[in-house]
Amino acid sequence: MRYLIAAMALALPTSGFAAGERISVTGEIIDTWCYYSGVMGGPDAVVGTAHHTCALWCSAGGIPVGLLGDDGQVYMVLKIEGDDGSASGDTQLSLASHQVTADGMLYERDGLKYIVVEQVVSEGITNLSHLDYDVVPPFAVPKPKN
Amino acid sequence: MKHWIAAALALVAAPLAAQDFSEGSEARSWNLYAEQPALFEAKVVDILCELTGDCPDNCGDGRRQLGLVRAADNVLVFPNKNSQPAFTGAALELLPYCGQDVEVDGLMIEDPDLGATNVYLVQKIRTVGAEEWVKANTWTKKWAAANPEAKGKGPWFRRDPRVNAAIEADGYLGLGVEEEAEFIKGLHE
Repeated sequence: MRYLIAAMALALPTSGFAAGERISVTGEIIDTWCYYSGVMGGPDAVVGTAHHTCALWCSAGGIPVGLLGDDGQVYMVLKIEGDDGSASGDTQLSLASHQVTADGMLYERDGLKYIVVEQVVSEGITNLSHLDYDVVPPFAVPKPKN
Repeated sequence: MKHWIAAALALVAAPLAAQDFSEGSEARSWNLYAEQPALFEAKVVDILCELTGDCPDNCGDGRRQLGLVRAADNVLVFPNKNSQPAFTGAALELLPYCGQDVEVDGLMIEDPDLGATNVYLVQKIRTVGAEEWVKANTWTKKWAAANPEAKGKGPWFRRDPRVNAAIEADGYLGLGVEEEAEFIKGLHE
């Protein structure tokens, strides 16, 4: 019984910092609000080239950037190679829509995954979603002035 | 003893169970598929600090994403969005309350299919005990103050220097201006 009580006590929420786990994730840098909320459409429409301009807007606007892993999981990006600008930061903005491999530390809390990236290698933008969705939202590309 | 064990197990399980924070909420709907009104008390934290112990002054002065550690269950809620329909986040809205206990009202996004949980759109904020709410809609004013050279007509995202530089360099699709020229031309024909 003592062991059971001790085990339950260990399972209780505690203060202090979460233990990180070293991880390598390959996937696309996305804007999380459009992906999670569905405000612009389904998840396949708010990634890649179709959504690149909107991803720039959201990143510059301070919306959290995520790494949508090839495993289908979203990793909220908190830091990249020493740059902690996770709200409108330059490094995150420069990687909008890029396919990357990120090595770093994984933290999990309350159902969300977070990553502190120590090293990132970009393959550039490889998801040609505009072939299926044109541009999302359509007004991302302004009409040319006559 | 059986009752004691049951009570202890319930205590362990409580934070894991989804809770309803809609009571008393006056949040405006955005007609999002997975939205739920949510009014709750929380402490404003720097998420990177909260998770790793890397803690600069003043929650990073606006560089970092801020979170809400909910008073009722110690859950870390991630405010992704402020209340402006303008591609704008929540960190600058919460920054004045760094380290403080606040009450927030807004929309919680819970969509298991996409892995969205404890994702929040904050519409208004007040310190615990305060009468007046503060609308979470100040991002564009702060952007304008920080970017006086970008003053002009139209929404901020058409005038943002960094966004415009990126589009000028790599195009609207990010593939290169020349590479995507034909596609862009065809969009409006």
